[in-house]
Amino acid sequence: MSAQLAPEDVLTDEGYAVVATAEDLHVTFRRNGKAIHALRGISLEIRRGEILGLVGESGSGKSVLGLTLLGLHGAGATISGRATVRGRDMVSATDAERRAVRVAHLGAVFQDPMTSLNPTMRVGRQVAEAAGSDEEALRLLRLVGVPEAESRMSAFPHELSGGLRQRVMIAMAVAGNPDLVIADEPTTALDVTVQAQVLRLLRTLRDELGCSVLMITHDLGVAAQIADRVAVMYAGRLAELGESDAVLRSSAHPYTLGLMRSRLTLGVDRTRALPALPGEVPSPAAPQPGCAFSPRCSVAGPDCAETSPEPVEVEPGHHSACLRPLAVVRSTDTVSPVALTARAEPAGIDQDTAALSLRSVVKTFGVGKGFGRKRTLHALRGVSLQVAQGESVALVGESGSGKSTLLRVAAGLETADSGEVELSGGSRPQMVFQDSGASLTPWMTVEQILGERVRDLGRAARAAKVREALSLVGLPAEVGAARATQLSGGQRQRVCLARATIVPPPVLLCDEPTSALDVSLAASVINLIARLRRELGMSVLFVTHDLSVARVVADRIAVMYLGQIVEIGASDRVTSAPLHPYTRSLVSAVPDVGLTPVILPGEPASPLNPPSGCAFHPRCADATESCQDTELGLRLQRVANDDVDRVACINIDLSHVPTPVYITPKGA
Amino acid sequence: MAVAEPFVVPRPAWRRPLSLDLRAPRTWSIIGASLFAVMTLIALAAPLLSPHDPLVPVGIPLAAPGHGGFLLGSDSIGRDVLSRCLYGMRASWFAALVVIAGGFLIGGLVGLVAGSSGGWIDNLLMRITDGFLALPAPVLAIAVVASLGPSFTHTLIAVSVVWWPFYARIVRGEISKLAARPHVEAARLAGAGRVRIALRHLLPGALPAAVVTASLDVGNLVLALAGLSFLGLGQSAPAPELGADSARNLSLLLQQWWVPVVPGIAVAVLAVIANVAGDSVRNLIDPE
Amino acid sequence: MTQVRFVGQRFAAMVIIVLALAAAVFALQKMSPLDPVHARLGGQASQGAIAAERHALGLDRPIVTQFGHYLAGLVHGDLGDSYRTRRPVTTDLLAYVPATAELAATGLIIALVLAIAFAFASTLRVRGAGLFRLGLMLGASVPTFLLGVFGILLFYQHFGWLPASGRTSIGNAPTGPTHLLTLDGLLHGRPDVTWDALKHLLMPATAIALGPAVAIGRVLRSSLEGELSSDYVRTARAKGRSERQILLGHVVRNAVGAAVSMTGLQVGLMFAGVLVVEQVFGWPGLGLYIAESIPVADFPAIAGVTLLLGSAYVVINAAVDVIQAAADPRIRV
Repeated sequence: MSAQLAPEDVLTDEGYAVVATAEDLHVTFRRNGKAIHALRGISLEIRRGEILGLVGESGSGKSVLGLTLLGLHGAGATISGRATVRGRDMVSATDAERRAVRVAHLGAVFQDPMTSLNPTMRVGRQVAEAAGSDEEALRLLRLVGVPEAESRMSAFPHELSGGLRQRVMIAMAVAGNPDLVIADEPTTALDVTVQAQVLRLLRTLRDELGCSVLMITHDLGVAAQIADRVAVMYAGRLAELGESDAVLRSSAHPYTLGLMRSRLTLGVDRTRALPALPGEVPSPAAPQPGCAFSPRCSVAGPDCAETSPEPVEVEPGHHSACLRPLAVVRSTDTVSPVALTARAEPAGIDQDTAALSLRSVVKTFGVGKGFGRKRTLHALRGVSLQVAQGESVALVGESGSGKSTLLRVAAGLETADSGEVELSGGSRPQMVFQDSGASLTPWMTVEQILGERVRDLGRAARAAKVREALSLVGLPAEVGAARATQLSGGQRQRVCLARATIVPPPVLLCDEPTSALDVSLAASVINLIARLRRELGMSVLFVTHDLSVARVVADRIAVMYLGQIVEIGASDRVTSAPLHPYTRSLVSAVPDVGLTPVILPGEPASPLNPPSGCAFHPRCADATESCQDTELGLRLQRVANDDVDRVACINIDLSHVPTPVYITPKGA
Repeated sequence: MAVAEPFVVPRPAWRRPLSLDLRAPRTWSIIGASLFAVMTLIALAAPLLSPHDPLVPVGIPLAAPGHGGFLLGSDSIGRDVLSRCLYGMRASWFAALVVIAGGFLIGGLVGLVAGSSGGWIDNLLMRITDGFLALPAPVLAIAVVASLGPSFTHTLIAVSVVWWPFYARIVRGEISKLAARPHVEAARLAGAGRVRIALRHLLPGALPAAVVTASLDVGNLVLALAGLSFLGLGQSAPAPELGADSARNLSLLLQQWWVPVVPGIAVAVLAVIANVAGDSVRNLIDPE
Repeated sequence: MTQVRFVGQRFAAMVIIVLALAAAVFALQKMSPLDPVHARLGGQASQGAIAAERHALGLDRPIVTQFGHYLAGLVHGDLGDSYRTRRPVTTDLLAYVPATAELAATGLIIALVLAIAFAFASTLRVRGAGLFRLGLMLGASVPTFLLGVFGILLFYQHFGWLPASGRTSIGNAPTGPTHLLTLDGLLHGRPDVTWDALKHLLMPATAIALGPAVAIGRVLRSSLEGELSSDYVRTARAKGRSERQILLGHVVRNAVGAAVSMTGLQVGLMFAGVLVVEQVFGWPGLGLYIAESIPVADFPAIAGVTLLLGSAYVVINAAVDVIQAAADPRIRV
């Protein structure tokens, strides 16, 4: 395999301490005629056997560093500096040498396991390509916990679930006992409970095989859960590097501090606006001199805009690239004081008036395109929910839970098969979508898009109304002349909010509006939604997969599983004292600093074929015989009706319930 | 939080001032695309550019190029080959444009209606379109002209009938891709009706692909029409037509090669111009 | 399971399209200003003879009945009689088809070879690929008949390498069992016949191949390049596979689909090319037959050729779809 390597190049001694290094690495590539400065002088080393978490927001260059170490940076990139793996420089090496290093020393796991596997090749063969033989491939599939590995060998990728696909990727990555596995956002496309499983697997494999792992992630919680050391990147440079605990619990760089403070966790103070970093990540197409973070930094001085700081050791083993003394950085509030306006309780929730009420909503879709057998996808299986006037309710669930379908039924974008949808006052709700860019018509200006909702006004009145709506969401009037492609992600989501509120709707529907945004932007969008809700007296129905987001935006949280609400209750209660076994595992799967997750086995069943009885019973540790009873399924459908606080489970021990909760009585 | 940061709207690419930087690929694309206009002007000016009447013998027959006052020679009864070619190019060019325009309009309308209404209308229209696409267009066109009787109008009708389904497919494809984007749902929630959504939120997005297809298609049509004309399915005898002029004089090939060859070269010139211009339009509209 | 279903449905669609084609040809016949009775009997026929002929042809019956008869005739291989040759059109077609089939098949093979060479040369950035591409594109911008004419001037008149017309110059060439001279030559142990037939085929087949070659090659190149920049190729590279292994082991399988569909579609263009080029090279096939039928408005002959070529096209494309479905594991489930 490594025949192309000269014998002296293969380091056979077992005494090496550093697996890979980046040495003053600069990577610039061209996109659409513009130079993108992805890496601007980064140096770090990956030690033998460690998991190094490489954390950064989009555009920080973290993935480029991973690809450069793999030697997959592409022919169009201009590179200076070195990126070594076991002493071999992947920048200056020939193609054959790079390939030999990959075979002998490297493994890789990428973000989207569906596209990262060849759709027309059986997974056994794909693993065998890396493993060398079918027997070894089978052993690896078993090692990474693929159940029924023999039969899965001959499966095609589309026949596997997302979590299994990622396990197959990991099996290929650890084939041939590599010294370093580069994992680029390996859990971002997965559900929370599956993410916890995959993180656990990566850690176990490291312990068993002794390889190092470069864990590239945007999520500080993921890094905290798995990494021994953490490197924080900003605009193509290293901001901070050190032991995970040191970096995440006593951060030394203003950027890391800001990230940690604006990060949403289950412990965030819900009564105040979220601390948000001001501004946005600078464009890698136009790097400024000096410290790239200085425009957003509250401790920056005039020198910061001129001198680019190098990382210095601030504490033993803890490096930070900041010109200000550590004491100054830590004593100053690094987040914008503007963001810290007190978050008054909403003007008032009128519990007696329902702004939106859904009763026993059922929605199915026919799937199977063209010639295949038609199958029925049970998206909603009898959901009842009321949102009071002025109230905010979050729908939380994993993929296939039906949360987005419920929102779309409420919006009138889908028609329920049966059940009732009632809106107070009868006026249309408005909706904010996950992909803000795609929800703005690309060839229309912001003014035309917003103006569409107030078409009956005259030209001048309309223009005034648009300006007013833009200023309400904190955008200057000039944005009106721009098109979506000319705006940043944060600006687009604000435009979407301006469109939704130019005529305030009774109910604002939000479909994961922050999940595509960087941490620092998400906080400011959530703050904005809270402020608009308060000022305009709207109710909010907010779909998210992230419990910590739900907890902050909502008064009540409804947890959905396979088309049903399994638990609903006050945000604090659901997140601090979850009752339903599924909610409990969701809460414990949220990655965070200093938390060990409880791992829920299996993956959500397919909504094409929901299990009988309580749909969760195949994954439930407390499940009993009676949980699969078909009649129970019908009864559970009726459980979460109307009441503010409910759990659909027959095994809950009432003595543990901290607050009064309505529970289905056993025989009812 | 309502701090308004200064914001300057960048100019969109098509509003940027025209630069004459010959190293920029964009400049060449603009020059290439303008060939469509140049060729149309030449076609319009064919009567002015032609040295002789294309229908009337004006000198010795079968004069070689450059002899007897014929730049590109004369045919078997002494007509000027150059003039016949210029008139023939004019006819071919406009015929191609007419068919493209017809296909673009009919196909665009069908595609727009199908893609934006969805459901059974979409199904019905697309089944019909697929039915047309499942048949070999050129062969069908030959059958149509042959049975209606050879004439220029019949050729145009026949080719248009078999040509629009391509555009229907492309426009329908683009529209349904766009219709799946949330911006259409946002427009629905904003209170826009079906027609408004189709015209404002869907159609403009499908136009670039349709325009690119249309401009790349001019060359194909020039060749297809020349082929029909070669088979005798175009204008009748004395009219100057490139394919027919070549076909009728094939017997002269080994002695007076220019008589059958020059009209063919004129077709090739038209096709090359159309292909270069079409490629340039594509590069301008979606630069890889 | 679903594949059987798919094949069944595709076959049903194919039958429906062929029926639609038959209906279209029938409708054209009705719309045509030509009167079949007039065409058969000539101008001097008496009223009585005309009426009798109309009755014999079934033209006095309702149109639906006429269409039924027409279809029934088609099923039995009855395409009517040619006005020109006075023979059944089916007989004529059978005589002309082998020549056209041999030419079209050879053209298709040449087109595929050129397309594959073009696509791989550009994808792999082989030296000279640009020049090859330019030459091919230029060739595809030249009308088929001009390619033929140039070929005759260059390779027949100037160099004398290749014959200018007909299928063969050997008088006693074998005439069975396939009626394809290249194959019959081999079957009868006459390599000279095969060689001579190939020489006759080379120019006309290349002339009709260039346009489809560029169309297929473009599609193949862009899907090769698209697949090469896909995520699973990055995975394969990360595994340390060589570019050759990646191209042959991963990419080609995923990239050929679009090119195969395009090939099916290009067959239509190829048929049109065959009709034109047969005239240039005096090739005794369907093109020559239809070219002689057009000026005398021999409608049954024109309809026969249209039905035959149209059905061939429909069947070829249905076969392409079925093969593709069989090759794609994602269609199973």
